[in-house]
Parts: sequence; structure tokens; C-alpha cells
Amino acid sequence: MASTDGAHGSSPRRTLPVLSRGLWTVLAALALLAVVSIVFAPSSMSSGALQGMLPFAAVLAIVAIGQTLVVMQGGFDLSVPGSVSIVVVIVTHQAYGNDAKVLPAALMALGVVLVAGLVNGFLIGRMGLNPIVATLGVNALLYAGVLGISGGTPRQTTDLLASVAGGTLLWVPNSLLVAVVTVAVTTLVVKRTVAGRRFEAVGANGRAAWATGLRVQRHRAGGYVAAQVHYWLGGLLLAGILNKPTAYQGDRYLLPSVAAVVLGGTSLLGGRGNIAATAIAALFLTQLDQLVLALGVNFAVETLVQAAAFAIGVALYSIEWRRLRERFARSPGPVASPS
Amino acid sequence: MSDQTQDRTPADLATDLRSAMRLTEISKHYDGVAALTDVSLTIRPGEVHALLGENGAGKSTLMGVATGSVLPDGGTIEVDGEPIDSLTPARATQLGIAIVHQHPAVLPDMTVAENIRVAVQADRLGGRRAAESTMRQVLDDVGSTAHLEDRVDSLSVAQRHLLELAKAMLVKPTILILDEPTAPLGPESVDRLFAWVRRAAERGTAVVYITHRLAEVRELAQRVTVLRDGRVRGTAEVDTITDDELLALIVGRQLEYTFPPKRPDVVDAEEFLTVEGLSGKGFNDVSFTASRGEVLGISGIVGNGQSDLLRALNGLEPFTGTVRIGAKDHTAKQLAHATAYLPADRHVEGLMMTLSVRENAALAALGRFRKGWLLDRGAEVETVGAELKDLAVKTASQETEVSALSGGNQQKVVLARALLSRPKLLVADEPTQGVDVGARAEIYRILREVSDSGVPVVVASSDAKELEGLCDRVIVMSRGSVVNTFAGADVTESNLIDAAVRATSRTKSKDRAVASTSATGSTRVGRFLQGDYAPVLILALVMIALGGYIYAQNPRFLSAFNITSVTMSCAALGFIALGQTVALLSGGIDLSVGPLAGFVVVIGSFFLVNGKSPAFMALGIVLMVLASAGVGAVNGSLIRYAKFTPVAATLAAYIALQGLSLLLRSAPGGNIADGVTAFLQLGVGPVPNVFILLVIAAVVMECLLRYSGWGRRLRAVGSDEGSARRVGVKVDRTVVLGYVVASLFVFLGSVVLLVQLGIGDPTQGVGYTLSSITAVVLGGTSLLGGRGTFIGTLLGAGLIIELLNATVFLDLSQTWQYLFQGGLIVAAAVIYGRVRGARASV
Repeated sequence: MASTDGAHGSSPRRTLPVLSRGLWTVLAALALLAVVSIVFAPSSMSSGALQGMLPFAAVLAIVAIGQTLVVMQGGFDLSVPGSVSIVVVIVTHQAYGNDAKVLPAALMALGVVLVAGLVNGFLIGRMGLNPIVATLGVNALLYAGVLGISGGTPRQTTDLLASVAGGTLLWVPNSLLVAVVTVAVTTLVVKRTVAGRRFEAVGANGRAAWATGLRVQRHRAGGYVAAQVHYWLGGLLLAGILNKPTAYQGDRYLLPSVAAVVLGGTSLLGGRGNIAATAIAALFLTQLDQLVLALGVNFAVETLVQAAAFAIGVALYSIEWRRLRERFARSPGPVASPS
Repeated sequence: MSDQTQDRTPADLATDLRSAMRLTEISKHYDGVAALTDVSLTIRPGEVHALLGENGAGKSTLMGVATGSVLPDGGTIEVDGEPIDSLTPARATQLGIAIVHQHPAVLPDMTVAENIRVAVQADRLGGRRAAESTMRQVLDDVGSTAHLEDRVDSLSVAQRHLLELAKAMLVKPTILILDEPTAPLGPESVDRLFAWVRRAAERGTAVVYITHRLAEVRELAQRVTVLRDGRVRGTAEVDTITDDELLALIVGRQLEYTFPPKRPDVVDAEEFLTVEGLSGKGFNDVSFTASRGEVLGISGIVGNGQSDLLRALNGLEPFTGTVRIGAKDHTAKQLAHATAYLPADRHVEGLMMTLSVRENAALAALGRFRKGWLLDRGAEVETVGAELKDLAVKTASQETEVSALSGGNQQKVVLARALLSRPKLLVADEPTQGVDVGARAEIYRILREVSDSGVPVVVASSDAKELEGLCDRVIVMSRGSVVNTFAGADVTESNLIDAAVRATSRTKSKDRAVASTSATGSTRVGRFLQGDYAPVLILALVMIALGGYIYAQNPRFLSAFNITSVTMSCAALGFIALGQTVALLSGGIDLSVGPLAGFVVVIGSFFLVNGKSPAFMALGIVLMVLASAGVGAVNGSLIRYAKFTPVAATLAAYIALQGLSLLLRSAPGGNIADGVTAFLQLGVGPVPNVFILLVIAAVVMECLLRYSGWGRRLRAVGSDEGSARRVGVKVDRTVVLGYVVASLFVFLGSVVLLVQLGIGDPTQGVGYTLSSITAVVLGGTSLLGGRGTFIGTLLGAGLIIELLNATVFLDLSQTWQYLFQGGLIVAAAVIYGRVRGARASV
């Protein structure tokens, strides 16, 4: 750290690399929520309630991390419902009542979502399509697959999957462990590998990355493929956690996944991704559901609280205060350009 | 100041009394640095007044003051003898002050005619009939060959400039400021431009002509003022001053920083960097060589191909010709890997502002820190730290966000990245632009050290003094060609400026100039295919073909019952999709339309029920309208004033509206009154009135979009917000109003939905968000904003409903519905994108 000598002129508060602002904020929010839960609805913090809540938080966390990767590229993935749903129906229908078929079915599901990710990546990275249009179309195609496979009917999950995804290890739900490992691995890949660091740079400023000689399109497309791997993992867990998942189980993950990304402090404009913060935000949102449920208030209130949390999240992070300040400081700027 | 100036004759003073504009003792400081000091300038009616000076001399700042876009710190402004207290751009326009910018404020998605109409008040164009011929006449006058219906993004740079000139001409300004208007023009256009400027002056317009070229001053101007370092160095009649005298006024800037010593002269130095016959976009047949240890400079007036040449040298743009480093020829692809590039605009092309200093610096050298699968954090920190220390980067730590650094230190971070990548060639574009004085000297030192270490360094700069101090060899470019080369002791500021300003070469027309070929070649068919209505035709054909096929399979498809049902569904989706179209045209998106439709239905289900009085029902309708308009206003305000992205703002509304619906009704309830249902189902034959209303609405909106000021402003904002603002569109107001209009269409859609559902169901409506976007995309409206049609959206909605209906009649499973929908939206987006030539996504 040779450069720490000249500290003047820049703010020292930006020196914590690990605990980003997003992580701090969302941890504080989670702590506050825990206190509120204990005071007003102790039942929502009982061991049983937590055991019931954590697996769903884990699934949302994993799916939301996938969404984070897409948002880091300034994109938006509407194919979450289709992908999660198709994974669920493939493993419940292909492997119906037969534990031996679980693994082949899971691999088949992985293949399907990887194709979906490649199509998304190609359409957006290469063909220059708007992410909303491309992922909207791919989502519809995935739903066609969901219906084709399931006919829209739910099926009982297999015992093996139920015991793996729904099981516990020393009272800790397996799904939670999977989520923690996912956070660790994805963070490591993004922050500590060559590809991950380039990926983050492309998201932060595509033109600058291009001027540096990076292959922008490939990294953009890669985000959509990597996201699908996360949806696959989330869908797989979900298929095991639920005794009899519906054919449209992914529907309820689109908006919360985006909300978790935003609350975790990843800007919808792209750039640095806060993967751990996204996961904590997923936990926050799931516990918020539990609290509202335990309080017995209208389901509507829960939705409104979510909307408020989302809006506050956006206001906190995506308004770029510093850039705004700079812009105001520079505002008589057009004349500064050379004549 | 101005020691050699103001040798005025009494006659001068007399005519000065009749001034179009008089600026007196104008001063302007930026962050304590003087941009203008006590500048006085008088512009007379009917004269062409040239403003000369190097880059950074203060010309543009001065003209910013004159047009109200820059607020001076001190001094007075008089227009036509009247003192103006505070000049704003709007006031300047009222006073008849017009400026033609170097970068044309044109809207790429709109046609030439629409660009003129959005910028020029209607009364300037004459009546409805006269407008077209007026515009054609003006375009002919400035030498533009563009068709009025040509879309501007199909025009060449030169044609866009001519369009910009035409707009200024139509305003008939009393004071006209031209900022280097000839830079992109071919010889024929320049002649026409000059003729036009002379005519304008004859009519009494005061013309300020900013230029770098002495030849143009001689040809056009009666008087000339020279600025240097923000001060007036002299004003003179053009006839009474020689070129050498003018040059003496332009050059001679005082520097507050020092340069490193140059390379000592070496006899028989090997040629280390050889460029031969290099041509590409923006430059032509460039050749030069540099030997080991030489810093090569590229001089010339900004925008004469220097940046394009540098990009080619860095392998970012294709080229023909040879680039040899050492003994090896390099292709563009090899150069992209082997060279490092310091872009002129750090913010856009240099740095990832939200990432840390370390992440920015290490980006191009990450491969060196690889240890197994992972990066060796220790090695990275150590290497980056050493480089930062070498370059004396002032930062709190490596983890500081790079945006917190000063301009000079940011530039050093870009340099650190370049050096860490161990390039074979270092290319720098304006390396000290926006860099403080202290850091400048250090950047010069670093560039010299890199060169000494055996890496060729090429520096482009608009600052001739800088090149004089830094470079051993300098080529001077004008209009994309090398006009002169200086080496050794000949590299002086005056030589470089002399070569640049005396260059008479005009742009090679085959590259980028007068588009007598490209733009005029547009045919009626070509314009149609490029235009917005091609998707409409495609959709109509697809719908007819599909309808025919279904009918052939099952004649009940055209039964009265089915027609009623299909058109009713189409009306609900159609209205909502029209609203979505408005949002997309403005460059945004409205994800909240679906939940809003549901919410409005829920409100209605409390009022429009059996047994209520008409007054009570009317109150309900008023509330439904108000709720819709309110949601639109909130969406628009969040986007414009709180700077939410459109996706974020309308997604928040999406979730909140779902909650509100559930709050009002936790379960379906409130049967819609029979009278209301019956009324809305009235129709002509099997077709309900609401559908006819939808078609009328689409046509009316289409006309408004094409022919009203509102429609043009909406598309202008969606096409290019910055340009729209510069031509006087009130962007915030336009966008907020757009979202309100979008929401009001959702209200209309929800009225139809009310009938279809027959009950207030809090969970209905949500699906309309995605199907409305699908309909709009099918209709050919661009998600980038600025172009699209309401008619297309109408047909898009029709096609979706027809497809859903088809699956019923053809006995297809629901799987096919999804397949059709997904396949169609992707296919439509890809095909339309290809036809138009998709805009680069980078």
C-alpha cells in the first residue's frame, strides 16, 4: 500500500472495501427488523418460524444473486419466473417418484436454462436488443416449456430431493448452507478472478472497457448465462423444499429478486455488484413477510411495505449523490470544452 | 492587457454607437482559474466578426456568455443598445441571438422536416402549405441535399451541420454566432455557407464567426478579434492586419509548468514506429515515423482526424495501411492487445467511476496477478501500489473510489493502467485536458520516461505549446490529412499553429463531407422501410394471413359472438398499450400499467354497482380518472425530479398499486352494474363502440404524434434528451405529461376491463404490463425512445389477441400461446432492429 501517504483531498470514509455501504445499510435494516419482530410479533422469531422461513430466504437469495449479475451489466432479467418454474417442473415431472432420476433431471434442467441464458446473452449482447424485450420473450418461451412438460399440473416432489433440499444439518437448513456457499463462490468469482473483475468493469463502464480492449459483448452475455445457473440452483432447492410445488412456482420470485438487488445497493444503472448484500436483503424481505403474517395484518400492507422498502432502496442508492453534486459543481460546464 | 489593440479611428467609434451587441469587461472564473478577464467586444450589425484564438483561449466561454448559457462573474451585456441584466438562453432567443454549435443539436430519430419544426416557431415557417416549400428553400440555400422526409440518423455529419445551419437561418436572427462551422464540410458546402453568411450580413445580421483558419477570416470577415488566455489581444479591420501580425497575437501563451528535457539528438536513429499510408474513418493516407525515444506529437485543430487516427493506432477502429512497431507489422486486432490508450474523455472512455483506484489501475494487467484460478490479491496490491507511487498518485488508499480523485490524479490512474499493461505503444489523446497545473508537469515527465524506456509514445493535443515542450517530432493534421511535419528545433508553437491555421485543404468529400451521394440517394421505398410504418404493413399482412388460416380451419372464427369477444379483449389491451406507447416514445417505460388497470377496476367496483345513483357513479369515474392521472404524475416526477430510472420508478408503483388494490378489496367483490355493462357493450353490429373508440383514439394519437407540437416534443425527448433541451424543449414537463397521458389511457383500458371482469378483482390486470410491452414492440415502437407509431401498437395488440383466439379455434394447447408470444416478440425486435440498423449497444 504505497499510496496511502498523500491522504489529503479525498474522503477517508470510502476506505472499507469489504463492508460496502449497501451491506451496512441492509444489515442495519435486518437488525432493526429483528428487533421489531421480537417486540411486536415474537412468534415470527420462534425457532420453528425461522426454520420455516430460512429455506425460502435462501432460495430468494440465490435467485436474487443471479439477478444481481444481470443488473451489474445494466440489464434486467424478466426470465426469472420462467427459468425457476421450468427447473421445478423438470425435476418434479421427469423424476416423478423415482430418486434415481433426480440427478439426470437436474442436469437436463441445467441444460435448458443454460440455453435460455445463451439466447438472452446473444440477443442482448450481440443483437443489441433491449434486455426487457429479450428476456420477456425468452420467459414466454420458457413458459411454453413449463406447460409442455407439466400441462400446468403440480406433482409431488421426490423423497431424495426433499431430504437434500428440505433437510437440515444440526438444525441449520441445508438450503441455507447452499445459499451461503453460493454467496461465497459467486463473490469469489466476481471479485477475485480475472473474468469476474473484467465483468464488473464492463458493467461499470462499457465504453471504457471497450477502449481498454475488453470484449464487452461477451462479458455482457456471460452475465445472463451465469444468472441462469443461479436460477437453476434456486429452482432445484425450491422443488425440494415444497412438498408439491405448482407449475408456476417461479412467478413470485421476479419482483422480490429485483427488490433484493436494489435494497442490496447494486445500481440499476450497472456497475459494482453487492452480492452478499443482495443475499441479506433477500433474508430481510422474507422475514418482513413473516412479520406481517405474524402480525395478522392485511396481505396488502405487506405489499405496500415492500413497495416502500423498494422505493427507499432506489432513492438511497440509485440517485448518485456524488455525481449529482459534481454535475451541479460543473453545471456551467459546456463552455469548458475547447473551442 | 490589450496593449497592441484598440487603435481605433474616430470613424470606428462612431459606428460603434450602432452596436448589435456590446460586451464590456466580461470576466469569468472556473474554480479560481480565469477563463475570461475584462473582455470587451462590440459586434456591429451587418458585419462578419471573426473570433480567433487557440483552444482554451476563451472563445467558447465568451460566446456562452453572449448566448446566456454562461453567467459571467462581472461585466455588462448590451443588446441593441439596451443593457441586459441577466441573459438566459430563453431571453437570448427572444432577442434574436442564435448560435450554431460545433456539435449539431439534432434529433436522430426524427425527419429533417420534424427537426426544423421542433426547433423553429411555426410562424417562421409560414402557413401550413408554405412551410414545406420554406424548409426546402432554406435547405437548398445552405446546400443541403437531404430530403425533408429523410430521417436524420441516416444523414452524414456534414448534412447534419447543414441542417443545423438551416434551422438558424429560419430563425432570422439579428445576431448569429457560428462556432467553427466549416470543420466537417466539403468545399462546395463551404462556398455555399460563405455566400449565405455574406447575404445574412448584407441583410443586417451581426455575425460572429469562430474559427481557427486565417484563410477563412480573410475570405469572410470584416473585423477580427483575437483572444489568448482569456484576454482580448487585439481587434482590427481584417484589411489592415497581416497574417503574421495575427499569428503573433494568437501564439505566445505563458506557461506555469515545465517540461522534461527532450531526447538528445541521435545520429542514425533506427526507425522504431513506422506508419505508412494509414487510412480510416476520419483520416486519410497518414504516414510518419518515430525513432526510439522520440515522443511523437499530433497537432492540429480539434476534430481534424487526430482522435480517429489514435483510435486506429490503438486497434479500436479498422484501418488500411501499415503500422510497424520495431520490425513487426501489426493488425488492428494485435494492436488492440499490444497497445495502451489514454482517451481524451476520461469520464466516458477512461475510468469506471464507481470502481476503486486499484480496480481501475489493475484492469488491463489482471492476467499478471493470476495464481491458479484466483487473483493474487497481495501481488496485485503491491504492484499497483508501486505503480501509483511511481506516478505520485494522490489518493487516500487504493480502495478509494476513483471518482473522488482530482482530474490530474484520475488521469494518472488511467496512465497507471496503461503502464501496468506493459504496452508496446502508448497513445494519448489530450493527456492533460482538465488536469491541474501541478499534475501536468508530472504527466509530461511520465510520458517522457515511458518513451525513454523504449515504448513509442504518440500524443495528440490541441495545445501547440504543450506539443512544443513535450515532443521531438510533430505531425500537423488538417481535415484528416497530414499537412506538415516538424522535428527537433522546428517543433515550435508558432510553426505548429502556423501550419494548422494556414492549411487550406478542405475535407476529402469521399470521407465525410458533402453528401451529394449518400443522402440524396434515399428513395421512397427506402424511406418507407426505414420509416415507422413498415411494421404496420408487416403486422397487417400477418394478421390477415393468420385470420384467413383460422377461418379456413374453423368458420366460427368470424361468428358475431367471436368478433364481439375478440374486439372487446382487444379494446382493453389496446388502450393500455397506447399508454405504454407514450411512455416508450418518451424514452422510458411504464411497468405499472397492469397493476394500475387492476387498481382502477377495483375503485370502479365500489361505485359502478347496482343501485347507485348516476351522480355517485359519476363521482366514481372522476376518482378513477384522478387516481390514474395521479399515478402518472408520481411516476413522471420520480423519474425526472428524483432521478429514478423509469424501470425503478414504475416498478415501485407496480408493487404499491398491487398493495393498494388488495387494501381496498382483499377478495373479489362489487358486481358491476348491469346498466354500465350494457352501455359499454353497445356497438355497431358485432363490434362494440369501445373498440371503435380505440381505433379512433389510435388514429387521433397518431396524428397528434406526427403533426402536433406535443407529439414532436415527446419524440424529441425520447430521441435525444440533450439535443431536445438545446432546441428549447421543456424536457421535464414533457416527460411528466407523457406519463400522465399514459396513465389516462390505462384508465380507458380499465373501463373496458371492468365490463370484461364484471367484478372488482384485486389480482387482475397485472398481466397487462407485459402484454402491453409485447404489443408495442410488435408495433415497431423502439424501446430506445423517439420513434414508433400508435397504429402499430393497435395492430400489435390485435395480433396478440388474434393469436390467443387462434389457439382456441385451432384447438392448440396453452403451450402454443406462450410459444407464439415469445417467438413473436423476439422475432419482431430482431427484425425491426436489423431493418433500421441497430444502434450500437456499447
